[in-house]
Amino acid sequence: MSNENVTTSDTGTDTDFQTDDDQSIASPTPGSEAVETGESTRTTGATHTVIESRDLDVYYGDTQALQNVSIQIPEQQVTAMIGPSGCGKSTFLRCINRMNDLIDAARVEGDLLFQGKNVYDDDVDPVALRRRIGMVFQQPNPFPKSIYDNVAYGLKLQGRTENLDEKVEHALKQAALWDEVKDQLDESGLDLSGGQQQRLCIARAIAVDPEVILMDEPASALDPVATSQIEDLIDELAEDYTVVIVTHNMQQAARISDKTAVFLTGGELVEFDDTGKIFENPDNDRVEDYITGKFG
Amino acid sequence: MATETPGRDESWYGAGEEVDRIRGAAFKWACLGATLFGISMVFVLLLYVAVDAIRPFSADAGWYLAVGLAAVVPTVALLAYYVRRDREAGWVGATATALPAFCLLVGSGVAILVIEVFPPHEWFAVVPALGAVVAVWAVHQRVRPDPVEFERFGVVALAALVAFVGVPGAVPSLEAALQSALLWLNWPTMMLYSFAGPIALATGILIARRHESRRAGAVATTLTFAAGVVSILLAPAVGVDDYLLVVVALSVAVPTALYAESVLRSGENVSGLALPVVAYVGIAVAAVVVETYGFTGPAAWLDWEFLTEPHSRFPQRAGIYPALVGSIMMMLVIVVSAFPVGVAAALYLEEYAPDNGATGRVVSIIEMNIGNLAGVPSVVYGLLGLALFIRYADMNTGSVVVGGLTVGLLILPIVIISAQEAIRAVPDSMRQASYGMGATRWQTVRNVVLPEAIPGILTGTILAFGRAIGETAPLLMIGAAAVVFNAPGAFTEQFSAMPRQIFAWSSEPSAEFRHGVLAAGVVTLLVVLLSMNAAAILIRNRYQRR
Amino acid sequence: MSDASADDRRAEREDRDRPAFAGQNRVRSVKERAIEWLLFGCAALSVVVTLAIIATLLFDAIDFFTRVSPVAFFTGTNWSPKIDQTYGVLPLLTNTLAVTALSALVAVPVGTASAAYLSEYASDRVRSILKPALEVLAGIPTVVYGFFALVYLTPALRAVGLPVSTFNLLSASIMVGVMIIPMVSSLSEDAMSAVPDSLRQGAYGLGATKFEVTTGVVIPAAVSGIFSSFILALSRAIGETMIVVVAGGMSPKLIPSLFESSQPMTAAMVQLASSDLAGDGAAYQALFAIGLTLFVITFSMNVVSNVVAARYREEYR
Repeated sequence: MSNENVTTSDTGTDTDFQTDDDQSIASPTPGSEAVETGESTRTTGATHTVIESRDLDVYYGDTQALQNVSIQIPEQQVTAMIGPSGCGKSTFLRCINRMNDLIDAARVEGDLLFQGKNVYDDDVDPVALRRRIGMVFQQPNPFPKSIYDNVAYGLKLQGRTENLDEKVEHALKQAALWDEVKDQLDESGLDLSGGQQQRLCIARAIAVDPEVILMDEPASALDPVATSQIEDLIDELAEDYTVVIVTHNMQQAARISDKTAVFLTGGELVEFDDTGKIFENPDNDRVEDYITGKFG
Repeated sequence: MATETPGRDESWYGAGEEVDRIRGAAFKWACLGATLFGISMVFVLLLYVAVDAIRPFSADAGWYLAVGLAAVVPTVALLAYYVRRDREAGWVGATATALPAFCLLVGSGVAILVIEVFPPHEWFAVVPALGAVVAVWAVHQRVRPDPVEFERFGVVALAALVAFVGVPGAVPSLEAALQSALLWLNWPTMMLYSFAGPIALATGILIARRHESRRAGAVATTLTFAAGVVSILLAPAVGVDDYLLVVVALSVAVPTALYAESVLRSGENVSGLALPVVAYVGIAVAAVVVETYGFTGPAAWLDWEFLTEPHSRFPQRAGIYPALVGSIMMMLVIVVSAFPVGVAAALYLEEYAPDNGATGRVVSIIEMNIGNLAGVPSVVYGLLGLALFIRYADMNTGSVVVGGLTVGLLILPIVIISAQEAIRAVPDSMRQASYGMGATRWQTVRNVVLPEAIPGILTGTILAFGRAIGETAPLLMIGAAAVVFNAPGAFTEQFSAMPRQIFAWSSEPSAEFRHGVLAAGVVTLLVVLLSMNAAAILIRNRYQRR
Repeated sequence: MSDASADDRRAEREDRDRPAFAGQNRVRSVKERAIEWLLFGCAALSVVVTLAIIATLLFDAIDFFTRVSPVAFFTGTNWSPKIDQTYGVLPLLTNTLAVTALSALVAVPVGTASAAYLSEYASDRVRSILKPALEVLAGIPTVVYGFFALVYLTPALRAVGLPVSTFNLLSASIMVGVMIIPMVSSLSEDAMSAVPDSLRQGAYGLGATKFEVTTGVVIPAAVSGIFSSFILALSRAIGETMIVVVAGGMSPKLIPSLFESSQPMTAAMVQLASSDLAGDGAAYQALFAIGLTLFVITFSMNVVSNVVAARYREEYR
């Protein structure tokens, strides 16, 4: 396992970033008051890179969906990917766990590394890869099975069936769903509300203890109450997992993420930095225009 | 101010559009008439044939009174009440009433198979052998929960081999050993243990799961087994062979009881269960009254003798039994051959087949080909069967196997196409969720796609089977017998099927055959067909409402 | 704090026996491959069936044509295999044509009108009754239709005054027509329902009556689909066997007569198959020659129908 910058220092005095709003006034960009960066108790500093892409190009047939994307996603933080629709954010996400393989016309060039190994190498088994990376989709998609069977699905797939009951309970607790469903584990997952279904999908994904959780606009189909529940959940999940989340909701990205990547038209990764920096003082003019709503 | 354009302001109201309206109405009614033309013609013909077969006008007025007052009027009144007030309960009631009747048909079919093809001692040997294989599988699952890839498959296959085939020449298979060893048991006991036993066990497991209580399961098992014993004891009173009554009684009682139990447990629409009670108690009462007062019922051509006798020159004694058995056996061959192959092909085309590239083109050729095969006339399939199975593969002319395979080939495209539609209807988001979790393609198909698609697949397949049971032309080509006097005892024997027998009867010139025996045969075939279609539609409705 | 736990987590995960995601699990992919090949085999079976049909028909038909010249077969006007050993197929063809034409006379107007009614005029409730009723028509076995024609329709025709003999062409053809009504009706209705509502709205907006919309806008827009349904239904009528055998009789006439018995190609095949056939006799092989002719006709009609239908599907892409 190739470690780039692993300097796990004692975190004591490391810069907590953005602990209060005063710091954000350094050089306010017009309209930035509209975007509040949230609190985060996670430390940045030098961290282990879990996912890295180098000059990644993705084509659907003749159309290029991603151009030359190079990014290093750190471990155990929430990385958000924002940008207007159709800019390749979801495409990038789906490259990470090779879900793009399911699309015949997709073609990938460049390198995408997970834990230092290129996931597109010939000896990589996408099925095994996906068992270490979990995915949550935009539309909640629980299976038409019982809640218990939904959460247990991944574990049964992998044959990890010891202490199944405890693992299911633990996953549901982590997804903040246990209290609501603990008496109805046998009922169909489809009987839950939208927000509950999405939390069930999250529980299903974390039940197998993945290293990374990919989320493709997980709250965009939900009402505001459910959305904020999911956002709180994501905050907690980052304690244990690396979370990469695609969202078209800039405020959401600003609230929950540690680092933000901005994709603009044509599948181009324009800027990637700490969330605070992106929303307060981005380097790139186009990013600033996007953040302040001039387009997008 | 005043309108200058002459005639302009009177055209959009007033009597000018009469012609248009008449023409429009005439067209609409003409179209409706056309629609009703075909429908009513066929329904009138169906009515004619039913009347010919059942001859309702030959019955006593008293008989009608008894049946009408005791059975028909209360049932219809209750139905009307449901339609008016409580639709849902009506559906529950209708299902609960139709279920025993349908199960009776199926149970009779199984009983026929027991009589003709699988005598009790064969059945009795097969079931424990099968049970042994299942036990091996269960034990292996307990002992080695995480085996190497093919290990479980290999172990089970080995067990199956030992149980059914043995080592040729050296060790007899378990099944054969049981057959010879236990001949001293009498048939009812054999049937009891090998038929009632597994069913009782399965019922118990089902109930235990539903109620989450081992005790409930044990109770269910005991009750079911007791029902089997009771039917053996009651058999002499009913006049049916005891080992057969076990089969029929359990086939009717178990599904009905399970359904009633599920309705009671859910607590909804329980009032619907009144309908079957009213209907069947009414029929029983009517039967008693008819017996006591000696009313004569309709002198139907379609009576018990018709169903259990073979053909005869004398129309009074002619029956359809051997053809019925032949049809059932042929359907068995088709279920075993066309159904799995068709579903497998549909799975490949929908789940595995790539959309482009070299293989993609092959796949689209295959799909186009299947569509064309569905349009080939049935006679040509008969020729295929004749040339392929009889001349080339040297199978027996007109045997059940050849008939089943030929008709199976005929309905294979239909099975594939309807299975494809059912599989396509499974939402893609489920597949994405499963793949996203690192499931392989087969795991996704087996755990997510198939369970969702099965009701649709079953509906389409049952409809295809309905088509198969009525096909005559291919049977003519492969030499199915016009008339057999004995039901086929093995799948390699020559057979006749219901439509084939109907065709043979249609060449008899006498009016009694034409309007009597033939009508009865047609009605039998139609009743079987109707129940199959009704079952398919019920499955579709039940799972579509989800 | 979180860094330490990151290490802990990583260590925890590696303690567990995680399969690497590269370079292993050949066995699983062998099983997956095996299943895929098995399923592919089942799908490819259909191609095997088609090839088998063609091979079977060609094989014996060619043999037949070495005994009886194709010219004599396709232009001969006398079909009498048993008595005269003459194999002229023209009478069978004209009989088939007559049955098809008559059944078209019944099915085409009735089917199209039904489709128009169901698609444009019927309320949901009425449709929910009529459509299943039409399905019933489609589900009745053809031998039962033959029985209906023989036992009920022929006497009825006689009662109306038509001089029909016991086995007659008219009765059989009418029944064939009734049998294929559901095919015409359901396929045409699909075509008509697929016409986008915007077209109808546009016509209504211009002041058209419902009749004008249905006949002037919807039907012309759906004409490819309707036409393809005709072709498919007629192909079915050509291949129909049992109705014509049971009700139509067994004596082919070059000029088919409505009121007398007839014998289309399919009925002739049945007759050949039921008689005592020596394995290699000309009579047995004649069976395959007719079969080949029948197959070619119906197959080409089905292909044409698909082409026509594909054309209509394209127009609303």
